[in-house]
Amino acid sequence: MQHGIVVENLGKWFSRFHAKKPVTFMEAVISGLRQMKPVEQFWALRHVSFTVAPGEMLGVIGHNGAGKSTLLQLLGGVAHPTEGKIQIRGRVGALLDLGAGMHGDLTGRENIYVMAIAAGLTRQAVSRRMDQIINFAELNRFIDNPVRTYSTGMMMRLAFSVAIHTDPDVLLIDEFLSVGDLSFQTKCLNRIADIKEQGCAIVFVSHDAGQVERLCDRALWLRRGEIVAYGEPEVVTGQYVSEMRSQTQQRTPHRPPQLTDAGSTLKVNENRFGSLDVEIRHIRLLPKAAMRSGEALAIEIDYQRQQSTIASAIFSVSVSQADGQKCIDINTSDMGWATVPLNDQGILRLSIDRLDLVAGEYFVDVGIYEQDWSYAYDFHWHVYPLTIESALTSKGLVIPPMRWDVVAENSLSEGAGSESVPQLKV
Amino acid sequence: MRIQHLRRTSKRKWRLAYLWDLLRSLVDRDMKLMYKRSALGIAWTLISPLLQLAVFVFVFQIILQVDIPQYASYVFCGLLIWTWFQNALFQATGVIISSRPLIRQPGFPIAILPVVIVTTGLIHFLLALPVLVVFLLIDGVQLTPLVLILPLLNIIQFALTVSIAYFLAALNVTFRDTQHTLGVVLQLLFYLTPIFYDLSSIPSEYWNLYGLNPLVHLVTCYRQILIWGVQPDWVALAIISGCTAIALPAGYLVFKRQSLRFVEEI
Repeated sequence: MQHGIVVENLGKWFSRFHAKKPVTFMEAVISGLRQMKPVEQFWALRHVSFTVAPGEMLGVIGHNGAGKSTLLQLLGGVAHPTEGKIQIRGRVGALLDLGAGMHGDLTGRENIYVMAIAAGLTRQAVSRRMDQIINFAELNRFIDNPVRTYSTGMMMRLAFSVAIHTDPDVLLIDEFLSVGDLSFQTKCLNRIADIKEQGCAIVFVSHDAGQVERLCDRALWLRRGEIVAYGEPEVVTGQYVSEMRSQTQQRTPHRPPQLTDAGSTLKVNENRFGSLDVEIRHIRLLPKAAMRSGEALAIEIDYQRQQSTIASAIFSVSVSQADGQKCIDINTSDMGWATVPLNDQGILRLSIDRLDLVAGEYFVDVGIYEQDWSYAYDFHWHVYPLTIESALTSKGLVIPPMRWDVVAENSLSEGAGSESVPQLKV
Repeated sequence: MRIQHLRRTSKRKWRLAYLWDLLRSLVDRDMKLMYKRSALGIAWTLISPLLQLAVFVFVFQIILQVDIPQYASYVFCGLLIWTWFQNALFQATGVIISSRPLIRQPGFPIAILPVVIVTTGLIHFLLALPVLVVFLLIDGVQLTPLVLILPLLNIIQFALTVSIAYFLAALNVTFRDTQHTLGVVLQLLFYLTPIFYDLSSIPSEYWNLYGLNPLVHLVTCYRQILIWGVQPDWVALAIISGCTAIALPAGYLVFKRQSLRFVEEI
């Protein structure tokens, strides 16, 4: 009884129709009513249960097609559930497609009447609230001008102001925070907090986990119509975000575990770029990813070709410091190997006989490029760390083999360096 | 028990008051939208039937010389009734598709939409009524107390139009060309309704088929009370009312189902 919304075991069975489903009499007759049958049927929502108490805000997160909009439609009563039940106490208000019901030829004031009455207020109630609505929308000077003279921001403000002043017992919100400028958004949020305090049960749908975490008292995560998690917003959004991350990882190629030890994960468009027509499967730094300056390093690139039509490519390797400073940047083409023929899979090794870099943390960036450098097939940026140690500290980039010598010059008898300093050799 | 009952009645009363407000504001919106951009404003309602009347008078009084007494009143009466019927049906057919934002509004009583359109038509009809009275007076018609039956005829026509509108609007969700098809059908129906010709010129062997058009009887009833000052055809009115009493709830249900389907499909 004390709940604003009670949803029990809700399910919605959906039919998707043929894309060429006839929409006119003539087409229907010609196609013989065959394509009138749905081609695909599925549960848009299944086994969904939750409650929202008055004064509570529930955030619903999930990807597109997870069933968020369907849930809003069912809660709003504009669609009927196939199974389960919904109990809602009081009047339902909605911030759905804001401004869609406005008429450009009517004035702001006339639109307020139409929208607010359509949202469930009586004419008298609208008149009482008129000033409040106009003030909130900050449209005092323009309210008797036709809405077609308004800017988009003004229209959104008006629509939002009307929707928020209808005093609903249950409010459904669909990704609203693109309304107006930043100060107006803050005002909207404050107003939502107000009506929440007055005992309105709010359902807020978003794909922005951060927003849900900040605003809501509880969170519900939907995937393909079913609940994945339901509970504390921090917990649910945390799970949601990490799931998103791991999904991206699944799309990237498998890498040897010793490289993930360094804590770097491979993310498309973050540290991995390219069409992936040829993929870098493994990068091996040999003998290992930690070495002493001046030792030899071999970099093995294990690639796999996804498109058999690609006959050749350019391989590129660079060694750079964490701040992006490149110490080595070489590629097969510059080293005189015009085309590297590709197999379905193979390994290419770059051997560096001496790597005389100063001590520090480096990244080995590896790329495979299209023959004309027009785009990357796969480029891993700042994924493979390389540690170089050295007995000597230096401010420069390289420590080539070197030593200090005192050069004894007999003709300069009173020269400064006459003591016999032993050699300092690195 | 009693308190609950009281609360329920007050709730119902509030609901009715709300529906009335909603109807009023939506009709108001439609009227405003219709006339906002036309310089002639509300006068436009009259100009269209008057022009049609002028053409009919020219063709059937001067060229063809049809022998119908009080021809101007006869035709204008028919035109007003027909215009209301035709415009309302035509607009209501597309109403589900054109009112998507309202339909998506939680708690919005979708079924009010065709009622709004038919009400707007009724207002136009009433606005044109004084002009009809002028014609009646010019034609030397003696108005009798039977004129008071006019609201009853309006109610019957209203309910009939809303019922048909429900079915057509529902059909339009599945077949988007319903509105175009309807345009053609209505034009044919216009000629199959005694608007500019006399009912007595229909050969009796066609009468059974011809009489299936409810507008035939409605138009005649209007003329009976307004022009001829005789009792309307009560039998016909009873039959039309009976059919409407069945069609209205049925149409309402079909309409509701289809409008929900429309929201879900997109």
